[in-house]
Amino acid sequence: MTLQDVVKETRAFYCLECGKCSGSCPISRHNPAYSPRVMVENALMGLENDLVHARELFSCLTCYACHLRCPSDVDYPLFIQKTRALASTQGEHGDCAHSGSLQSLARLMANPAIKQRRLEWLSNGYRAAAQGDVLFFVGCAPYFEPFFEDIGVNALQPAKGSLKILNSLGIEPVLLEDEKCCGHDLLWTGDTRGFKELAEHNAAIIKKAGVKKIVFSCAECYRTFKEDYPKHVSIDCELQHISELLSDSMDKEGLRLREVKKKVTYHDPCRLGRHLGIYEPPRNVLQAIPGIELVEMARNKEDSLCCATSAFTNCDACSKQIRVERLLEAKYTGAEVLITSCPKCQIHFKCAMVSKGKEKGPDVEIPVMDLAEFVASALGAEDEQQE
Amino acid sequence: MNVNGFEPKIVAFTCNWCSYAAADLAGTSRIHYPPNVRIIRVMCSGMVDPVYVLKAFEAGFDGVLIAGCHIGDCHYLSGNVKAQDRIATLRRLLHTLGLEDERLRLEWISAAEGSGFAETIKEYVGQLKQLGPSPCRREATA
Amino acid sequence: MAESKNDVKIGVYVCHCGSNIAGTVDVEDLTAFAQEQGSVAVARNYKFMCSEPGQALIKKDIEELGLNRVVVASCSPRMHEPTFRRVCEDANLNPYQLDMCNIREQCSWVHKNGATAKAKALVSAAIARAFYLEALETREVPVTSAVLVVGGGIAGIQAALKVADGGRKVYLVEREPSIGGHMIQLDKTFPTLDCSACISTPKMAAVKSHPDIELMTYSEVVDVQGFVGNFRVTIRRKPRYVDESLCTGCGICQEKCPWKAESEFDCGLGQRKAIYTPFPQAVPNVPVIDPEHCVYILKDGKCGACLKFCERGAVDFSQTEKMVEIEVGAIIVATGYDLMDPSAITRLGYKRFPNVITSLEFERLCSATGPTGGHITVNGKEPKSVAIIHCVGSRDEKYHTYCSRVCCMYALKFAHLIGEKIEGAQVYQFYIDMRCYGKGFEDFYQRASSEGVTFVRGRPAQVTDFAMSPEEKGKLVVVCENTLLGRPMRVPVDMVILCPAMEARADAKEVARLFNLSQSADGFLLERHAKLEPVATANDGVFIVGCVQGPKDIPDTVAQALAGAAEALSLIDRGSVKLEAATATVNEALCHGCGRCEEICEFHAPMVRLNGRLIPVSSINEALCKGCGACAVACPTGAISIRHFTLQQILAEVEALSGVPV
Repeated sequence: MTLQDVVKETRAFYCLECGKCSGSCPISRHNPAYSPRVMVENALMGLENDLVHARELFSCLTCYACHLRCPSDVDYPLFIQKTRALASTQGEHGDCAHSGSLQSLARLMANPAIKQRRLEWLSNGYRAAAQGDVLFFVGCAPYFEPFFEDIGVNALQPAKGSLKILNSLGIEPVLLEDEKCCGHDLLWTGDTRGFKELAEHNAAIIKKAGVKKIVFSCAECYRTFKEDYPKHVSIDCELQHISELLSDSMDKEGLRLREVKKKVTYHDPCRLGRHLGIYEPPRNVLQAIPGIELVEMARNKEDSLCCATSAFTNCDACSKQIRVERLLEAKYTGAEVLITSCPKCQIHFKCAMVSKGKEKGPDVEIPVMDLAEFVASALGAEDEQQE
Repeated sequence: MNVNGFEPKIVAFTCNWCSYAAADLAGTSRIHYPPNVRIIRVMCSGMVDPVYVLKAFEAGFDGVLIAGCHIGDCHYLSGNVKAQDRIATLRRLLHTLGLEDERLRLEWISAAEGSGFAETIKEYVGQLKQLGPSPCRREATA
Repeated sequence: MAESKNDVKIGVYVCHCGSNIAGTVDVEDLTAFAQEQGSVAVARNYKFMCSEPGQALIKKDIEELGLNRVVVASCSPRMHEPTFRRVCEDANLNPYQLDMCNIREQCSWVHKNGATAKAKALVSAAIARAFYLEALETREVPVTSAVLVVGGGIAGIQAALKVADGGRKVYLVEREPSIGGHMIQLDKTFPTLDCSACISTPKMAAVKSHPDIELMTYSEVVDVQGFVGNFRVTIRRKPRYVDESLCTGCGICQEKCPWKAESEFDCGLGQRKAIYTPFPQAVPNVPVIDPEHCVYILKDGKCGACLKFCERGAVDFSQTEKMVEIEVGAIIVATGYDLMDPSAITRLGYKRFPNVITSLEFERLCSATGPTGGHITVNGKEPKSVAIIHCVGSRDEKYHTYCSRVCCMYALKFAHLIGEKIEGAQVYQFYIDMRCYGKGFEDFYQRASSEGVTFVRGRPAQVTDFAMSPEEKGKLVVVCENTLLGRPMRVPVDMVILCPAMEARADAKEVARLFNLSQSADGFLLERHAKLEPVATANDGVFIVGCVQGPKDIPDTVAQALAGAAEALSLIDRGSVKLEAATATVNEALCHGCGRCEEICEFHAPMVRLNGRLIPVSSINEALCKGCGACAVACPTGAISIRHFTLQQILAEVEALSGVPV
């Protein structure tokens, strides 16, 4: 694949140089070195070397803000994805956050000889089945749990919450011991080989499990399975995000919700919102909980501001500025809890709240919870103990 | 189960003030140990980023040894305590990944313990020979 | 960086080190292997890279081939990194673009088979790292022109005098009420039989009167901050309850004080008063009041004899502890030793029999200022026969494995002194080896032999008062084997003197931590290099002299003290010190201002500040940064990296090390 191929595939040659993308881009606003329009122009001018070795190639959040607004329908996120794949062949991978630990972990996981122990967190409180029609895809939560504990993120809570919800609806999902990372981060940082290995493995074990439907609590896993897997592997299942499943089930028998007198706001994750157009289901869910007052941030739904780091890459001062902006926006609504439906968003927002230095920035403290976790905590009678 | 002829590859991150000096002392004392270990000098065990360990497994090492000063004796006061905490978290990740606990080893070896260093290596090589090649290896051969 | 990947030119130099490396590692094969690695412009091998011609080889290549990286595969960098860094500097190459590869201590000397394969892996790692090495500038900071000497024994006194004579300010801090240490407790010193007090008191007086020495006795160091050339030390000055500026040292308070306590100076063999100077020649000659025995303090104002009798009104019970902060450029630790308590070795009878004493107790008996006025008596009786037992608690797996170095010589000294003071006394030396290695020592041994000392080669199994024959009645019997004769012996004596091992002070661990020093396996403080740097330590600017570093006699102690003084003066006279170049550095573009770095650093180097921005950002105080790497690992975005130990450099090593099979 060459840069020319990428230009063709993504319709980049239709670019009008109108600047709508750069005007919409949160990174461009804070980092003058980055402009989607200039990236595309570089490609059109054949300046492959400059493009491929530019640090900013890995700054794009692939949040789709530009993609939804581009009058020429240039698939800029795909352009970034493919150009990064090219860059990867030349040894470029961006500035990996956490020293590249997460990417390394995904690659280690991709190794065929690995035999994981990823379900040890499963306790008697949750009912899972050895076989069945519904699979719950846990994702990287068992790894994120120890990794991000210190910033107050219990990464397994969304999975646990989702299981509780499914159980309440009478569903005992299958959980696969050798499920692997969906490969989202590897795909978006140019490691197509790693991504393919993971995708092929997941496709094989899902086929073997014989399930008909897969439920996700992670927006990124969901998007990856829905949009990216079909290009490489065949997953013959219905795919659904827990927010969608919940939205369809709010009036169902098993879902007895307590009253929760809280003012909350909802942050649309890019992968669920702009990528897949799923804006209403999470809102339906929240509004169906008795006592909840849902308030909207100034920028919501298609205009939602990205949590500012994608694929744990190029997480920098600019990312922090964007996050602070978003959190202040959330606090401005007066909401007591910021709800989101993607573990990455949760992690990045909590990280932005870490402030241990002598001098501190603006106060951006606000409780952040995953939608599934939040709904699960409202399940059942007053006296029922939560996990 | 000792795979025939399998020679484990070990990378050891040793701190400049204690364990690296111990390895040097083993040398000056001519205490022999197996050549399976390859040493990387760091200034402190607290300098060891968990990614070094992950990358080491990616690179095909069968075992990773991190050796620092005894608790209380760290040249930088408590870099070794920090290392200990980080490695505790890392162990949980490696456990979930399915790697055997023995593949990551943390030792405190002082500058005076040349023979201690050699013994540790001998023991570790023997242990890894029993354990077999790392499941993270990409090639079949040692 | 202006330099592109294609501009990197690495020179690799493999040292034979005679046959030390070449005997086990195929250096030709290794050189050929190195030559094949990426970016390697030249690879050579030579017999001794550290020699003049070896160094010249490297310099020539740097100049003629335009090398911008050098890899030397030889001995440990802890050995010769400074040497080869200087070579680079001489050839105008930044010294931090040198990478050393340890194929001797960590390869040829420890492996028989597989050494060459391992050397290849190590060299490829060094080359991989060298590729990413960057030129680093070393900063210089000024050095405070003052020295702290901790400990007022002969080592501390000598070091303080020499530094002060060099025209520099010295703070001498001593824990006891007086300087003098153990030396002033001794009677005579070997091999010259000088009176110990006679040779040390002039030095002690010189300390007191020296204009450049500030003496702080009855004081302790409690905190040390800073770094070489710029230490900030906090000293706790304990209250004497006597005003030093008013006291004339007349001694009437001691005379009139009705309260007695065991004299520490006399090893518990004699007594002192609650208000006391430890010995008559104390410096300063100002008493202290012991709060544990002073009835005025214990019983809230009862007594007050000293208050009443002091004509100058120097007694001041209102004194409190004071904390003093000083700034110095160098610290000399001279805190000395303790003598092991031999009561643990129960069969030798110490503390069970009153006439089994230690060497230090014997010194006090012999000394004219001691509890018996210099008469060697126990319970009023002069011994007619004395046994001196060597190696008590030393050369012993159960206690201390090391040799205590001074005991053989002072045992001979004791034999002489006993012979001098007690007409016709019979002295037995129970030894394993006679270690008389120093100048004049052999002569001293011969003199003792000629004076009729009986040497019994045999480590006593027991000292007992159980008499098995009439000669043994009322005596102590030393039971041993005379290994030279090959038969057991029972030697009845009136007194037994034990030579206990010199050991590290009980608080050696705390002292080590306070000054950020290491201890060796035997508990004494660790010098930087056993042969070539005997007084320097791993902590730049802190030096250890005297018995704190290991057992030694007075000539060696003085020599080390002078060495420590030279080190300190050298540092101060240089006027400035080069800071560690391999420090942490912040890439502000990646910094979130989260403060994890500031939280984790124990040296207070990272500072997270707003500097007028909305979101704070971190910066590193390079003078305080030790380059330990803790902050870099804590940083979630990779904003902090450690110069010379970057993630990229280390991961390149990991990758390369895996490339060569075992």
